[in-house]
Amino acid sequence: MRGLATLQRYREDLSRDWPQTSGNLMVGLTLALVTLPQAVAFSVTLAGVPPHFGIYAAIWGVLFCAMLNPSRVFHGGPNTAMSATIGVTLLPVAPPFGAEYMGYALTLGLLCGLIQMMFYVVRPLGRMLDLVSEPVINGMICGIGLFLIFKSLTTFGGLPINTEVEWPLWIAWQSFLAVLEIGNLHAIQIGLVTLVTCVIVQQVPRMRNWAILVGIAAGTLYSEYLHYALGAQVSLIEKIGNLSSIGLVMPSLPLFTQEAMPDIIAILPGAVTLALLGLFQTVAAMRRMNRKAGGFTDSRKAIFSDATSNCLLPFLSSLPTCASFNRMWLVHRLGSHSRLAIVSSALWLLLLVLFLAPLIAAMPMPAMAAIIMLLGANMINWEDIKPHFKDRREAVVFVASFLSVLFLDLFGAVIVGSVLAIAYSKWEQAHPNISLNGNVLKIRGNLYYGSLPVIEAMYHRAIARDDSVVIDFSECFYIDQEGIRWLAAAKAAQKVRLEDRRHSDDRRAIERRAAADGKRRTGRRSARNDRRKRSEF
Amino acid sequence: MSTLGWKIGKVAVLVVALGGLYALAVAKQLEREDIRQSPVVLTPACAEKLAKYGLVAGATYQSPYLLKHTGMAVATTGYTEDDVRAIQRGCNIIDDTQGRQAQSVAEERWNATRFIRGSHVSCNHCHQGVGDKQDAEGNRLLGSLSLGASWVMADMYDRFTGLLLPFELRQMQCYINSSNGYKPNIADDLIRDVTAYTRFLSAALGLQIGVSYEEQGVDEIPASHTGKQGDDYIRGEAIYRAKCQHCHGAQGHGIEVNGHLIGPAVAGPNSWNMQSRNYFYYVATILPGFICRNMPLGAENTLTNQECRDIAYFISNLPRPAGDKQGPLVALQQQALMRIMPPLLRLTDAAMERKHPEPRQAPAAAR
Repeated sequence: MRGLATLQRYREDLSRDWPQTSGNLMVGLTLALVTLPQAVAFSVTLAGVPPHFGIYAAIWGVLFCAMLNPSRVFHGGPNTAMSATIGVTLLPVAPPFGAEYMGYALTLGLLCGLIQMMFYVVRPLGRMLDLVSEPVINGMICGIGLFLIFKSLTTFGGLPINTEVEWPLWIAWQSFLAVLEIGNLHAIQIGLVTLVTCVIVQQVPRMRNWAILVGIAAGTLYSEYLHYALGAQVSLIEKIGNLSSIGLVMPSLPLFTQEAMPDIIAILPGAVTLALLGLFQTVAAMRRMNRKAGGFTDSRKAIFSDATSNCLLPFLSSLPTCASFNRMWLVHRLGSHSRLAIVSSALWLLLLVLFLAPLIAAMPMPAMAAIIMLLGANMINWEDIKPHFKDRREAVVFVASFLSVLFLDLFGAVIVGSVLAIAYSKWEQAHPNISLNGNVLKIRGNLYYGSLPVIEAMYHRAIARDDSVVIDFSECFYIDQEGIRWLAAAKAAQKVRLEDRRHSDDRRAIERRAAADGKRRTGRRSARNDRRKRSEF
Repeated sequence: MSTLGWKIGKVAVLVVALGGLYALAVAKQLEREDIRQSPVVLTPACAEKLAKYGLVAGATYQSPYLLKHTGMAVATTGYTEDDVRAIQRGCNIIDDTQGRQAQSVAEERWNATRFIRGSHVSCNHCHQGVGDKQDAEGNRLLGSLSLGASWVMADMYDRFTGLLLPFELRQMQCYINSSNGYKPNIADDLIRDVTAYTRFLSAALGLQIGVSYEEQGVDEIPASHTGKQGDDYIRGEAIYRAKCQHCHGAQGHGIEVNGHLIGPAVAGPNSWNMQSRNYFYYVATILPGFICRNMPLGAENTLTNQECRDIAYFISNLPRPAGDKQGPLVALQQQALMRIMPPLLRLTDAAMERKHPEPRQAPAAAR
């Protein structure tokens, strides 16, 4: 039945999106062309595996996610942070690019998928992922945008990439100086041609979807010109290189032998980090981009789609997948809200790799780096950041998670940002609005272990002044066990009368008055009809 | 119209900014090219070393060292003017990484200080004799970390991680861990010139590619090569106080007088970090080996194996910077210790001195 319903939904999607098919196909092609350099770059330079790992992730990972995830802007595939985590985790275990290393990479992917499946099966675990708030996500997005720019600097200058884990800001500065001092000027020219062409084409509304394509084409043409004018010996331009060995499917098996067990146990913490990183990004990106696109998708569905994909991908020689902020951003910016575009991006990429490998091989890496830098710059959008600076708390959370991306890492950013956000909301709850009118102590807010000391201070001041105190908690919307015990103890002291007007005649009077006010308020009130509060008394 | 103007303005600003950066890059590269072409001022040690090995530009190169030691006149492919300057600059970098003897670190040492935290470390401290330590007869010494021998095993598998390390990456490990710094780009002149110098050394010494010479590393001292008394902090401290302190300082922070380095730091902020293989808790055998073969200067090979291990154990217990892999908490702790401990220790030492004015004389007086 469920399968039928899914099919039905696909059919609906398809019939709705059909009129814009050509547009969607175009977006798909752009996406494929944007994903390709990222896939190659992430797998080779970050994860330490051959380029086909990333390309298969960009084909099968995207396809699986598009099939399983009902969100219309979700774009899976290889991911910066995940690829980097793979590289860092496996570095002590085996030499990169070797057969063993690739086996471990697949094992790591499978472990990551299984751990993510646990997040789907155990509901509260999955719900925990929702505690990442919007300022945290936006801070992360800006951080990642800046990070992408820094990361592509060396490729932009035709220099080898720094792969060691060091302080990223320092690396960025060093890379910038290195590009200035020893960069390959031909590579820089190609990068600049690509960048400027892209930006100019972007300004023409009708050509916007084509900007990246045109940019890469210009860069490639210029690089070919340099190649023929000066020769490869002089121009020294790095290109994507030969992809012709890649077929439709390349089956593979993760490494699970007796001898490998100690190493597999050693990479388990890495697998947990990988799984969490993937899910955090997926949930965060989904929430952010769905809101932008004006939709909603249950994050559990995203968790399920990620977990299933990551359990399957290691058998197709592919890196693990998760949501990609920058590509989802692109899907949104190209104005396409359709899964057709996303499915077609995977198919386009497959076709490109199968039939146009020689053409892709000619694309220069500096042009790719320029595109990634542009994407990074586009992710930092003042319009999205501005609202966070209106409230000091949000600003602090935003800045903290932004800086944490640069000073710690993505995982650190999530932890720092979330802890701050949760701390702020707890702080807020721990300071209820208390007023003392005569001998009536009125509490508006939460009555729980955190706010009790504040309330108690006021209560004791009141009881020292007057003989009897009325505690009015009719506007408390949450009372925990400790609060109940305290109220009971206060009541037992005889001097205290508890007042919950909802149970008295007053409440009926209020409701009658509210009913007279109009339906708007009563509708809300009666619908909310505090089940929890009544159950406690 | 205004939106069009706005767009054109935006693109123009971008183009101007990028053009400016490109012009800056061109200027910087021309400047570098100038430095590559200009003659090199050699440090005294380098002038002596390179003169001894007969480095001149020419179609063939013949090593005087080889002629003297083996009696064979072997002519190999010679060096161009560019090569000679690169080798000279490389030698300067090894001998004086911090550019203390240079007019400008930026021009004569390729900004080497940019990649080093602290002001003490120089390649020459570990790779002594400008990377080629010899005795009076010109024999290469065991445990001297010879750079020429290092080049002939250029790309080697790391003993500890099993990774294949190209020669350039091995240099980077020095920058990251031994100098507690950052690694230069692999294409940087800083790396290339040092590589040129080490290649020249191996040619001058007549070393064979792919042969593992003993002097490449240090002959390590495991606990089994001692009297098996265990590594002892107290013994180590006593020997350190007696034999090392007057150069390396009471806290191991090195001694610098009027900008002149008497002895480099073996602990504290200017020293190697906890990820370095000189750190006893990472690799327990290398630092004792180094101390036995190379310390104290002028009286090498006088310490016993046990003493070397004790000293190594002692100085590795002094606070030093954390490496990349220790994480931020350890890094903070070490930084705090390095800042807080020295003044505290000075205070307690002063107090002890007031209490027992001459502690070493006391037992003698009693006797």
